[in-house]
Amino acid sequence: MNTNDPEKLEAAVHRLLRSVPDRRAPAGLEGRVLAELVRRASLPWWRRSYAYWPSSVRVAFFIISALAAALVVSGLIVLGSSSGAQELAGGVTQRFSWIVMSREIAVSAYDRARVFVGAIPSLWLYGAIGTIAVCYAALGAVGAATYRVLTFARQNHS
Amino acid sequence: MNDEPPVQTQPSGLGPPADFTTFMRKYQDMVFTTSARLVRNDAQAEDISQEVFIKAHEHFEMLSKSPTAGGWLKTVATNLSLNHLQRYRNRWRFFSELGGGSDAGGDDAPEVEFAAPDTFFEGIDADERRVWVDEALSKLPDHQRVPLILYHFEDIPYDEIARRLGVSLAKVKTDILRARAALAKILARPGASLEALSG
Repeated sequence: MNTNDPEKLEAAVHRLLRSVPDRRAPAGLEGRVLAELVRRASLPWWRRSYAYWPSSVRVAFFIISALAAALVVSGLIVLGSSSGAQELAGGVTQRFSWIVMSREIAVSAYDRARVFVGAIPSLWLYGAIGTIAVCYAALGAVGAATYRVLTFARQNHS
Repeated sequence: MNDEPPVQTQPSGLGPPADFTTFMRKYQDMVFTTSARLVRNDAQAEDISQEVFIKAHEHFEMLSKSPTAGGWLKTVATNLSLNHLQRYRNRWRFFSELGGGSDAGGDDAPEVEFAAPDTFFEGIDADERRVWVDEALSKLPDHQRVPLILYHFEDIPYDEIARRLGVSLAKVKTDILRARAALAKILARPGASLEALSG
């Protein structure tokens, strides 16, 4: 048969592949599946996914979650409108003042870097970016070439 | 392989019903073969087969009455195997397609004579034929082998294969065409013997 006749080749390959019998599954597969099913069945409901929880527990969980969400929202509203809210906000701000300081340092560093980069001629910048891109592409190409050489060497060897 | 009696590991009353064990024995070869052909690794195929049967157990009430249970299992095995391959897809795609010219059986490949399968394996028993074809398939690059298997073994049309693999329809058709030519070439290689194919 000529492989340059695609239709005949397709039919021949199809017949050939479909004539191949299935492989035998490993002897241990059945035991593994049964052992895993037993292990899962023996897990308590709270260690299984939500879909396997008893329906009464699922309903209770839903109600408790809704109540907890309502409690948190109403608590926040009450807290925000109370006289102690300002005092609390001040305390929190003082405790986390390091975040504000870090932000100021970052902003200052960014401004200095911008001034520094602005002083470099743009041609140098484009040159540096181009060099990095070429090095990166070369690294990828060398890696791919090495992979292919080693793979084909192994295949030819085997 | 699994000529020995199956291992019964579950204590009575806790494990799956006996029907499920019978069901699994009926389909385990098909499920394992489907996965092994796609992932080309027996240990990974066994893991995937285990996952397929655990999913089957979750739907056993429906599957035990369904005349298309085999099809369901095959689809799940195919999908899980493709998901497994998908994790590594970008990597192997990059490396395998970088030098497309090295693929065996390209459009410019020389003509080869491929004996018709009816006569090609004459006198060879089914198991030996299976080993021979599996070895030939394993010599194909993944981007040719996977669509070829999906088309010829799983009867999935070209456009569906393209969608599932996330590649263009034209690429799927070209890859399958080249895979067929390469397979014919491997099987028709002068002096090719089972030993040569099994490396």
